Amino acid sequence: MTDEIPTYTEAIRRLEAIVAILERGGMGLDETLKLYEEGADLLRLCKKELATAEGKLNELQLDEIETQLQTEEQ
Amino acid sequence: MTGRGGVTTGPLPIGQFVQLVKQTVIRDPLFKNQALKGEVTQWKQYASGHTYFSLRDQDGQMRAVIWKGRCAIDPSIKEGSEVVILASIDLYVRRGEIQLNVERIEPVSILGELEKTKRLLVEQLRKEGELDRLRQPIPTLPRHIAIITGAGSAALADMQRLIENRWPGLRRTVIGVLVQGPRATEEIVRGLAAARRLSNPDVAKGRGEPPVDLVIVGRGGGSPEDLWAFNLEPVARAIIASPVPIVSAVGHESDVLVSDLVADLRASTPSDAIERVVPVLPELQYLLDEFEERLGVASRRQIHDSQQRLSILHARLRVAPMAGLNRAKANVLTLSSRIKVSTQKILGVQSTRLAQFEASLSAIHPQRVLERGYSMTQTSDGTVLSSIDGLNVGQQIILNFADGSADAEIKKTQLNEGTK
Repeated sequence: MTDEIPTYTEAIRRLEAIVAILERGGMGLDETLKLYEEGADLLRLCKKELATAEGKLNELQLDEIETQLQTEEQ
Repeated sequence: MTGRGGVTTGPLPIGQFVQLVKQTVIRDPLFKNQALKGEVTQWKQYASGHTYFSLRDQDGQMRAVIWKGRCAIDPSIKEGSEVVILASIDLYVRRGEIQLNVERIEPVSILGELEKTKRLLVEQLRKEGELDRLRQPIPTLPRHIAIITGAGSAALADMQRLIENRWPGLRRTVIGVLVQGPRATEEIVRGLAAARRLSNPDVAKGRGEPPVDLVIVGRGGGSPEDLWAFNLEPVARAIIASPVPIVSAVGHESDVLVSDLVADLRASTPSDAIERVVPVLPELQYLLDEFEERLGVASRRQIHDSQQRLSILHARLRVAPMAGLNRAKANVLTLSSRIKVSTQKILGVQSTRLAQFEASLSAIHPQRVLERGYSMTQTSDGTVLSSIDGLNVGQQIILNFADGSADAEIKKTQLNEGTK
């Protein structure tokens, strides 16, 4: 876990905070823009995360996976 | 002997008396389907298929019989075995002997030993602080789940079905291992080791998939002996040592195993594990859509507020003294262009909607209405009139047109027909 790439949970939490700040209102233009852009980035990241979690289903016997791992490590 | 009612009768034949005793004894619910424990002595299996023995402890004993085919008899039971039986009292009238009719018999020696080692292991782990250690958090969105369980088992089928309902495309690797029998412990430990290697970013990169970030290890319900591998030290140690969070999902709700005590999350059953760690994809998508909507709406409103502030600034500028006018003008111009840029950035296609909104706003501006041929009537003190109510003959009024105004005088007032 690094500071630059938040996890999905962190991203959702930050998004919630950003939307709450914007909905409360009273910000200047600069701040609004900055928050909007951060929110849009987080949304993109979350959607990417959803896509990353999609993948194939491997169903392997213990021996098969061990053999695969052994071959890959050589 | 004196019978009931005080009538003296002859002596009661012993057979009848034993029958009476039998009727009384077998009717007592206390003596029906009792679980009893003790040591087996005089164990004898007859060619007829019936098995006779005595169940005893230091305080007493009783004869017992297992009628042919009544229940399965563990072949390990022999003279001296500790057993638990489920039995009802019977009385063998011909010999006047009370005996136990056995419905079930189980050796306790194995289970007793197992329970003892489990207790010792739990104590040891507690002493080491492993039961109080900080658990690893379960990811909200697992990218790659490893499931270690019996290949082709009902538990695996249940888990797969639930995942299909919640998030069909979720990436997962199932590692099929033996979950009971003498090799189960070793295979579960090796399965955990394989999952650990799949969690290594370099290994995962080589396989072209994200590292495993969550492991579910478990099996469906069974007898305590069937589940026992999950109570053994090697499995417990492998779970504790895992760099990836582990969910222990063994058996039915009532079974608490050592693996449950040391895992990062205890699920009561394999299905429960899926329900607790696999998100429902449509729910996640809905949440993101909602954030997107709210982010857009709130940002647009903020921009709109800035626009209004700019209008006020503009109005004040018109009445401002000439000093500093140029600087203020420049400020307004910069602000104005920045708002324009921001609006475009945020609104994108939405900006057309904003333009439409502005158009409809200007359509209802009083000036536009006047241009369409209507006029606005005011009293001399500036009150806008929308009714003849309160108007007097001879009163001075002002008529406003699009291009100017005219003073006028009321000559006559008249209500429209049908107007109250």
